[in-house]
Amino acid sequence: MTPLLETSDLQTFYGDFQALFGLDFSIAEGETVAMIGANGAGKSTFLRSIAGLNTQKKGTIRFAGEDITRLRADLISRRGIALVPEGRVMFPSLTVEENLLMGLGTDRAGAWTLKKVYELFPALTSIRHSSSVRISGGQQQMVAIGRALLTNPRLLLCDEISLGLAPKITNDIYACFSEIKASGTAIMLVEQDIVRACQAADRFYCLLEGRISLTGRPADFGIEVISRSYFGTGDHHGLA
Amino acid sequence: MAWLETIVNGLLVGSLYALFGLGAALTFGVAKIVNVAHGEFIVLSGFIGIMLVGIIPIHPLLLVPLVIVIVFAIGFILQMTLLNRVVGKDPIPPMLLTFGLSIVLKNAMVEVFGATPRSINMGGLRFKGMEVFGMTLGVLPVIIFVISVSLFVALHFFLKYTRVGRTLRATGDEAQFVQLFGVNYRRAFGVATALALSMSAAAGMMLAMRSTITPFTGGDRLLIAFEVVIIGGLGSMWGALIGGLILGVTHLVGLRIDPNSGLLYPDIVFFIILTIMPRGISGWRQ
Repeated sequence: MTPLLETSDLQTFYGDFQALFGLDFSIAEGETVAMIGANGAGKSTFLRSIAGLNTQKKGTIRFAGEDITRLRADLISRRGIALVPEGRVMFPSLTVEENLLMGLGTDRAGAWTLKKVYELFPALTSIRHSSSVRISGGQQQMVAIGRALLTNPRLLLCDEISLGLAPKITNDIYACFSEIKASGTAIMLVEQDIVRACQAADRFYCLLEGRISLTGRPADFGIEVISRSYFGTGDHHGLA
Repeated sequence: MAWLETIVNGLLVGSLYALFGLGAALTFGVAKIVNVAHGEFIVLSGFIGIMLVGIIPIHPLLLVPLVIVIVFAIGFILQMTLLNRVVGKDPIPPMLLTFGLSIVLKNAMVEVFGATPRSINMGGLRFKGMEVFGMTLGVLPVIIFVISVSLFVALHFFLKYTRVGRTLRATGDEAQFVQLFGVNYRRAFGVATALALSMSAAAGMMLAMRSTITPFTGGDRLLIAFEVVIIGGLGSMWGALIGGLILGVTHLVGLRIDPNSGLLYPDIVFFIILTIMPRGISGWRQ
């Protein structure tokens, strides 16, 4: 079976600075994969490269059999790749509901509708006409996820959902992933929180300084080994 | 009563100033481009109007929509073929490009239309007056006021309630990230500039109806447009309307106090407002 998304020898650059050094990665239809790694390991860059927001890259990215390495970002989103960006990125001029409606811009048919998103995140119903920058961080994260779901993606890329949120809120948001999985969407989670990522994912990749340092199923390794690979070899005690 | 008449006339001419600013506010708000050739596009639209009036034998006011459509197309092509090549983080290249464009347009217009002042022949309407609450107001300036304010209202509804309008606002917020939702932001820039120039087209035609234009009239209009945009708060539509009305009133009141003052009083008011509210009317609370 061919994977839904596959990168081979993916290298990404910011000018002269190289951020990713030849990543080989794959995710199957309906699978949930976590990418874990410390700050600056290149996780966000990897997601941005797939979504087409970073254009300085070498190697290949194939999505559903098609080479999308050089495809424009708006066309990539129309193929069915959605990104929940780091820091949530609201459109401040738009209300909560208008932010969600932006998701319909890809013109993709599918199970997700505005009504479904409000059912998934009932908390958004009462603030639908509020300004998207005057709501809490957790609510913004729900908007960002709902907006991405409305593009009816085959692959959902989530960049640090838990960043800056209280643990309880993060739990609530993570709880919705089972429902997203059930809709058949493949999910890729980028996280700094190893435990949470390993609970949610079928497989993981550990990224260290732009290279994959470990990959497999969480159960096969255990948190100890994974966190050692997270920080590089050497001192790892008490850090996870 | 004479003073009141001056103020009301100021509001009437101010609506046209506001329309000069509206286009500039829209290009800046969405595509973050400072269009230095804005004034030349206003004048060019006036000349297109003058030309069409000579060809198509209907009332000049009915030609305004046609000129709007023509200039919409020009604006879209301009953005897609030329301006999109230089947009990016640095605001200077688009400014230099439009600066060059303004010089080219000016000279091309002298070549094609000549340098003598011209206007659209409005027949009897030009000097027709009417009595309103004891004031004598020109019929044409009142019509222009109504059209200008209607265009503001129409644009407001378009931006607020249509899918394209929503996309334009989102693009103004985060041009990179609208791509995640199937939007080609360069095309959104194209639509924004097209809309902006079509607002200027209406303004330019109505300017040629109430006074005269030459290929060199653009510079002053650009100055007015910039002042309107900055008083109103960068990129704000309603700020631009209020900014235009303030400038119009101070202009006519200033001319009444001192007939040789030209644009001096609007400039002083601009300076004062900028000192008190550096972010303009719409941004003063932040």
